[in-house]
Amino acid sequence: MQTSIKSRALKEFAEATATLANPAVEEWKRQGGKVVGYFCSYFPEEIATAAGFLPFRMRATGSKGTELADAYLSSINCSFTRHCFNMGLLGEYGFIDGAVCLSTCDHVRRVYDNWKWKVNTPFVHMMSLPKKVEEPQVGWYRDEMVNLKQALEKHFSVKITDDRLWEAIRLHNETRRLQRQLYELRKRQNPPITGAEALSVMVAGTAMPKQQYNLLLRELLDEISQREGNADYKARLMILGGILDDPGYIEVIEEQGGLVVTDMLCFGTKIMWKDVPEGTGDPLAALAQYYIAERPSCPRMFGDYPRRADFVRDMVREFKVDGIIGERLIFCDLWALEHYLQAKESKAGGVPYLILDREYLLAGIGQLRTRVQAFLETIRR
Amino acid sequence: MIVGGCDIGSATGKAVIMNNGTIVSYTIIPSTTKPELTARMAMDAAIEKAGLSSLGNLGYIVGTGYGRLKVPFANENISEITCHARGAQWLCPTVRTVIDIGGQDCKVTSISDSGKVLEFVMNDRCAAGTGRFFEAMARVLSCGLEGLSTLSLQGKNPAVISSQCSVFAESEVITLVNEGVDLADIVAGLHNSVAGRLNSMVGKVGLVEDVAITGGCAKNEGLVKALEAKLRVKVKRLPEDPQIVGALGAALIAREKLDKKS
Repeated sequence: MQTSIKSRALKEFAEATATLANPAVEEWKRQGGKVVGYFCSYFPEEIATAAGFLPFRMRATGSKGTELADAYLSSINCSFTRHCFNMGLLGEYGFIDGAVCLSTCDHVRRVYDNWKWKVNTPFVHMMSLPKKVEEPQVGWYRDEMVNLKQALEKHFSVKITDDRLWEAIRLHNETRRLQRQLYELRKRQNPPITGAEALSVMVAGTAMPKQQYNLLLRELLDEISQREGNADYKARLMILGGILDDPGYIEVIEEQGGLVVTDMLCFGTKIMWKDVPEGTGDPLAALAQYYIAERPSCPRMFGDYPRRADFVRDMVREFKVDGIIGERLIFCDLWALEHYLQAKESKAGGVPYLILDREYLLAGIGQLRTRVQAFLETIRR
Repeated sequence: MIVGGCDIGSATGKAVIMNNGTIVSYTIIPSTTKPELTARMAMDAAIEKAGLSSLGNLGYIVGTGYGRLKVPFANENISEITCHARGAQWLCPTVRTVIDIGGQDCKVTSISDSGKVLEFVMNDRCAAGTGRFFEAMARVLSCGLEGLSTLSLQGKNPAVISSQCSVFAESEVITLVNEGVDLADIVAGLHNSVAGRLNSMVGKVGLVEDVAITGGCAKNEGLVKALEAKLRVKVKRLPEDPQIVGALGAALIAREKLDKKS
């Protein structure tokens, strides 16, 4: 499935997704800008923006192997963390000035342990991420943000004021609003953008300066909102999962005739379905409330499954989803349990659910194809 | 109404020709390194056996199997999961669980009373419990594939093979050989280990009787018996060669498609 979007914007997004230091990052660096890489969508990007830095979500795009990382990480660490750390050891992440890890899961924590000693990033910081989504955790996360802010201020000799934070919040809300507009178009009977293309739009949003990104995204929206869209598909799919950053994976799914119309992914609705309320008070309190309690949560968040299940049900209804594909990186225990629960609930509600284990790099396409094709045959037969 | 199904697997290519709901001919040939060629050779042989003159006699052809995208003369392709389910249920309408053990894949599929695929699981890029596994073991034990089946039925005291991985199982087998363990017991142990793996796959979709085994490995009676012991149910023996069930399902779907078109 391919739309024939020729827009400049989409091409730039695709390029940013297919590389690490894309032209926008290179330009940013040429102007003397700083880049802060982060390992989890719970990183408050707005703080980096308020400091004048470019927040960059860590990926291992273009990785060819894990042999250097395997000397430090174990073979039961997920392939995302091993490829990512391998890229660090290879020096591919020389363009970041800081790396921030969160205690998302045990795998990514091991990246922090090793990155600190083995990769030459001037600023390496760990944020402790609470496990629950209630009031005390919001306060805890606010404290963590204060620690991050102070560490950045000290290391880079900058001042992150409340005014700059509110400004960053407004800018990032604008990004989220535009991204939701893109998803709005995908609700159409004939969505004007494929799931693979939409993923590259979302990934690019974590790898470009937001102002530049917003301009491009607005341009893309203008162009595709007039388009006729895809009518030639067998089923409308939703994807659930974690750090899926490879549009090629979705292409394999869409080549079988399933059109991906929405998701609950780290590069998807999880990072943009809600806004940070804009105001004048304490910006860190507003951010903490948003990140911990308001956004669709990650399966690592304990006790919040019912809200995630509601979110999926709403998505299925709003986007007229025929089937759900749950992707999981092998060794991810968090998503294993989430898929088990979501699949059970989804099937009980009459929505077919296919669980796919995968490696970070696209491999075993033949078997992936067979699974997806058979799944689509069960939906439309 | 003459239709065909062509199942290009990793080890063999199969073609089935049907006329008005009966099987006219079928062929099974070893796969070549060119799926297009395998498909053509299998189908040409089936056409000849059926006494037909050319592909043009077939009203509709469905391709399936690992090489299904490379069947040059197919009108469309359908996944082998759907095809095996369809074929098995046509041969034996009471079947609700299909265990397909092919050359490089094993799959367990549960089907509804109306023949719809409800659920399936598939091995993940691993040769454990597939034809490749048995080929490797037959090589290590120098007994041939036929010999494996016969030997496993003779094992009185099956050895314990803990690993389901082909590579590790091989080293376990070599250890057992060097300890002087009876060959039949080693082979019986190997079959138990494969049956155990398949049993856990069945557990994932849920066991509903009747159970049928399809694919080339279903011809290994030793494996069928070992699986029956693990599953604790009788497995339905199909009235046709279990290896052609995918191609048969493809031919049955071809017939439906042709009906819909006319």
